[in-house]
Amino acid sequence: MSNLASSTRMNQSRSILSNTIPQASPATLTPPVENESIAIDITGFNAFYGSFQALHDLNLKIPNQKVTAFIGPSGCGKSTLLKWCNRMNDIVPIARATGSLTVGGRNILTRSTDVVDLRRQVGMVFQKANPFPKSIFDNVAYGVRLHYKTSRSELSDLVEWSLKKAALWDEVKDRLKRSALGLSGGQQQRLCIARAIATGPEILLMDEPCSALDPASTARIEDLIFELREQFTIVIVTHNMQQAARCSDRTAFFFDGKIVEEGATEDVFTRPRKQQTEDYVTGKFG
Amino acid sequence: MKDSVAQPRKHRSVARRKLFNNSFSVICLLVSSLAIVVLATLLIAIFSTGGNWLSFEMLSGSHRENNPEGSGIGQAILGSLVICSICGLVALPIGVGTAIFLEEFKPKGRLLRIFHGLVQLNINNLAGVPSIVYGILGLTAFVYMFGAFSPIRVNDQPDYEIGATYFYQTKTLGGQYVRFPAVPLVQPVIKIKQGQIASKINGDKFKLNVVSASTEKSKYANQVNKTVLLGTEAKLSNRNGNQVYEANTIGGEPFVFPAEATYSQFAKITDPITVSNSNGDTFSLNVLSKSEPIPTDPTILAQSVFADSPDPNKRSSASIFRENSLFHLHLPFSKSVLSAALTLALVILPIVIIASQEAIRGVPQTLREAAFGMGATRWQVVRSAVLPSATPGIMTGAILAMSRAIGEAAPLLAVMGGVLGTTNHLSSLMDKTPVLPVTIFKWAGDENQGFEHLAAAAIIVLLAFLLLMNSLAIFIRYRYEKKLS
Repeated sequence: MSNLASSTRMNQSRSILSNTIPQASPATLTPPVENESIAIDITGFNAFYGSFQALHDLNLKIPNQKVTAFIGPSGCGKSTLLKWCNRMNDIVPIARATGSLTVGGRNILTRSTDVVDLRRQVGMVFQKANPFPKSIFDNVAYGVRLHYKTSRSELSDLVEWSLKKAALWDEVKDRLKRSALGLSGGQQQRLCIARAIATGPEILLMDEPCSALDPASTARIEDLIFELREQFTIVIVTHNMQQAARCSDRTAFFFDGKIVEEGATEDVFTRPRKQQTEDYVTGKFG
Repeated sequence: MKDSVAQPRKHRSVARRKLFNNSFSVICLLVSSLAIVVLATLLIAIFSTGGNWLSFEMLSGSHRENNPEGSGIGQAILGSLVICSICGLVALPIGVGTAIFLEEFKPKGRLLRIFHGLVQLNINNLAGVPSIVYGILGLTAFVYMFGAFSPIRVNDQPDYEIGATYFYQTKTLGGQYVRFPAVPLVQPVIKIKQGQIASKINGDKFKLNVVSASTEKSKYANQVNKTVLLGTEAKLSNRNGNQVYEANTIGGEPFVFPAEATYSQFAKITDPITVSNSNGDTFSLNVLSKSEPIPTDPTILAQSVFADSPDPNKRSSASIFRENSLFHLHLPFSKSVLSAALTLALVILPIVIIASQEAIRGVPQTLREAAFGMGATRWQVVRSAVLPSATPGIMTGAILAMSRAIGEAAPLLAVMGGVLGTTNHLSSLMDKTPVLPVTIFKWAGDENQGFEHLAAAAIIVLLAFLLLMNSLAIFIRYRYEKKLS
């Protein structure tokens, strides 16, 4: 009964956006991720903050050019894992991790990992839109200028491309020189996405990108995520289960620092194998 | 459950509580208005004492002994501005750099963390150190440079120097001053100085002890082979191809020390040499022997000197003078504008660092995350995300720190002395200059009543500068807040 209810709700919400979206086939049951299409491979991964262990022995394969959603209650460690994917936890002095976390075939937890280059390959969009107090143009050009030497025309082409990809171009093309802080919350978040994709990453990490936005802006970002997965591997952390259901291909359910269940989104939401997952996706707790 | 807690029976009187409340706010108001009354009194006193003395002549002139009407603060204003600017230029980069290290480059290693903590502790404590203490620090560190160089010599010629030209100057019989360039020479004979490092013939080095003839013999009896009498001369000689000075100690043991080229205080004029006068004309000096008659033609007389004569009144040796270029620098810095500016920079450094730290801490963490997330290195994060947002705060702090520097008198008295006025203009950083606070300090204590009025007028000017700087700081902060919203 609860399965039925959640599946209906999911289908309804998806139908708003579903014109251009191919529906995942419901026939296959949690298809295994093929080896050559793995973007991030996590094996035996443990993460700590000081003496507190936030993640316990995780094993997860995140496929290429798909949207993978991390769901779970607050404090279950999904953001921690996301931040380890581009070593953003390096900023936290007490954070450390063991095990292996492979991006593009290389274990990034080693000392020799060049985090600067890693973060160019693995972009990040944060919970709260955080544009720099600079012009819209300079915001998008920021990462490009960090990593590349470009001519002015190259740069403006790249900025235009990124803003178009982030579905923001039409709204800001006449005011590229104006401060990014003048944009609305939703626009700012799309600007941050444009900024992240401008450096040409392979993977985009999104940490609850819509949690501070109104429903209309949320819908636009979700639209955007659908379009972007053509080119990027996207990992999205969300508290909003409808959102996970609407815009992800695969879902991993976290609880208390462990992955309880992982599989195609359809399966996790409609045919969960674990009672705990079912309770969570149907709203019995969380 | 109700019966478990007994309600207190006695009520506090509401009227009394209100009375206390009202009287307390009245007391607060009185106390705070006291501060305003004091400030108003101060301003009125200063303006009534010095207001009338403000004039263009007073603002542009310089100090004249016993002549308050003719004195002014032009030199002092220039001196204060120059010292304050150099102080800011030195303190700002060091201060901001330290703040960036303390806030953005927090080290992970244990030893470095201890060092980081020590620096932070130090800065917090230094901010409260009285400025005269910095004056003594400046005296040691900049004026004398820990005595790392030899003591300042007779004619104030320092060890290392650039941008200065030395010349000998003399007065001709016609009363005209002429000069000719000075060449450093190895003096054939010099007087031995206290503490001179010398070596015995076998190569052992020791420090020479100079005693006067009146010193009791018992005081140096056990080290006669390290002691010479005051005024003992050492003679130049050649030892293994090196020029050295040679002399004997009281104990009769010979010693040597290396000879350096120095300027002698006086130059004897014996041959006709090419000289120039103050107009820049060059001519050959006409050197008269003592037996020659004195020429009567004033033109020739103006170009003539006596050769070195036994008669002191006719002696025509030239004495050494120094002319400094704008880039004149020497080590140690001795009592100079540069020493003063560097000392003031030390005084305001903790203030600049703490203000910059506050400004950097005020930059939202999300901006740093954004930059790190884009793959910026730590320096790129600082350069492109942190500093632009922190600059207004840093500038505000720096300006407020400089407004403290411009009002400091104590450290300047220590490292530059109480200079009131100089005959020559401020030509290089090695000169001394009067400054506003020291001038005020000296004038306010002068026996001549007129200088008290002048001091009050100078205080008005100083207050105007402070007001200007503080409003600039407020303006910058206001613009920044407007820009962010």
